[in-house]
Amino acid sequence: MQYFGSVLTLAGINMIMVIGLAVLVGYTGLFSMGHAGFMMIGAYTAVIFYKYLGVPFAVCILLSGVFSVIIGLVIGYPTMRSRLTGDQFAIAMMGFGEAIRMIVSNTEPVFNGALGISGFPKLTSLWVVTLLVALGLILMFNFIKSAYGKNCIAVREQEIAAEIMGVDIVKTKVIALAVSAFYVGVGGALFAFYMTFISPAMIAASKSSDLLAGVVFGGMGSISGPAIAGGALAILPEILRAFSTWRLVIYGVLFVVVMLFKPEGLLGYREISFKPVIRFFGRLFGKKTAAESVKTDNRNGGDADE
Amino acid sequence: MSDFLLETKNLTVRFGGLTAVEGLDFQVKKGQIVGLIGPNGAGKTTVFNMITGVIPPTEGEIFFKGSGIVGVRPDRIARRGLSRTFQNIRLFEKISALENIVITLQREPGYSLVEAFLRTKKVREIDTEIQKRAYDYLELVGLREYADSVAGSLPYGLQRRLEIARALATEPELLLLDEPAAGMNNEECDSLIDLIRNIHEKKGITIVLIEHHTDVVVNLSDEIYVLNLGKLLAHGDPHAVQTNEDVIRAYLGQGRKNK
Repeated sequence: MQYFGSVLTLAGINMIMVIGLAVLVGYTGLFSMGHAGFMMIGAYTAVIFYKYLGVPFAVCILLSGVFSVIIGLVIGYPTMRSRLTGDQFAIAMMGFGEAIRMIVSNTEPVFNGALGISGFPKLTSLWVVTLLVALGLILMFNFIKSAYGKNCIAVREQEIAAEIMGVDIVKTKVIALAVSAFYVGVGGALFAFYMTFISPAMIAASKSSDLLAGVVFGGMGSISGPAIAGGALAILPEILRAFSTWRLVIYGVLFVVVMLFKPEGLLGYREISFKPVIRFFGRLFGKKTAAESVKTDNRNGGDADE
Repeated sequence: MSDFLLETKNLTVRFGGLTAVEGLDFQVKKGQIVGLIGPNGAGKTTVFNMITGVIPPTEGEIFFKGSGIVGVRPDRIARRGLSRTFQNIRLFEKISALENIVITLQREPGYSLVEAFLRTKKVREIDTEIQKRAYDYLELVGLREYADSVAGSLPYGLQRRLEIARALATEPELLLLDEPAAGMNNEECDSLIDLIRNIHEKKGITIVLIEHHTDVVVNLSDEIYVLNLGKLLAHGDPHAVQTNEDVIRAYLGQGRKNK
């Protein structure tokens, strides 16, 4: 039972990070190969504030997000400003991720270099993670629905046209990066307080591609898709543990199969919709909820393809 | 001096050794429909690209509403009231026709990022209002029934109309149309002429039009500029341009013995 709980907790943490990255990769169309860097920043920020400055856990989580955003802005503004194209940006982020790892590994004071920091309690529980996943999802859906989210879609679909229609490309991309940095930073903090130990080796460069895989796997224009994929990809290795050495092979084959037969990802450009369920119950009780009537007016038949 | 809405002076751009546009002086008065024609490769679209800020000119100046716009970012130029459509359609393909307009109407959110995350009452109200306005624009170009269709899946002619609607959603004073009738049959051309005239008259928008369909250009334009190999070949009212010998030669080629 405890094993179950721990797998679910890690799955939840992964979900938070993957939905964050989905805004940047799926919605804005900017691939990042270095978001492990933000995870590292989040993890160390939370631990340092908690252990050395005695800041409460909840505040530490928030600070780790905020600090990731600040670093994200520092790295993001120049890269967006100089208009790096998709692949250039991905490589720039890869450099960023590695740089963060090397800085942490080689800084003895405070960071304790490659040995890492230990000696803080396990404060990330399944309940905390569940709560944050729910909160993270709600806020993210709101963001996506807002004008800011729509600008992201415009940039992904047609950058030149978006700009000529008056969308501020640089600002939109920087916001997308900042939002993703916040989520991944928070994920990093939760991760550290779950493991009760943090070292640079725990957040390897491959973590970036794991997160990226979650988004690509889940769907490039979706939040619920990557959320599911993020959770599943954290659980899958545990299920496949019985196959030990064959685990990675199965993992890899699964990816190839998905990319071949469903290149747009699990949910593609759609979201999981509970509208049919709500409508069913609405009909059962003979009333139409306000939210439902607005939604059906706005996009009649839009959920028929779910 | 500036009774011109748009004015270019000595507009020139070189790509390496190739001079795509050379010394173009181009003027558009408020309320006009101006045609820009010329054989393929004459540099017409390049002129649009320079005006909208996508390509920086090598030399020369561009004035919009009396102020210079060379070096101004495309989104800033757009917000000053200049919009365009594209020769090779550039819609936001994977989303619905309605969303294409909604995005354009919401290019400046009008609320903070925090409000966006919390989806406050204000955000919801703005959303509802924007939706309504988006339907109006679709109505204007006759696409209301296609509101929920994915933009990229619409027939070609309708995609062109959607692009016009999207450009209008920026509430421009000047609209640049890049071959709006490309790939359309005569019937579709006629209804396009009606649409453009309608936009011009009802919304009072000044229009510059690149077009190969002579019917469309001659029918609509108050004035026509003819470009050939990047240079201004002729300029005048439609009738004068149609009978201009240089223009005929540029389009049909020159007889060998004249050489």
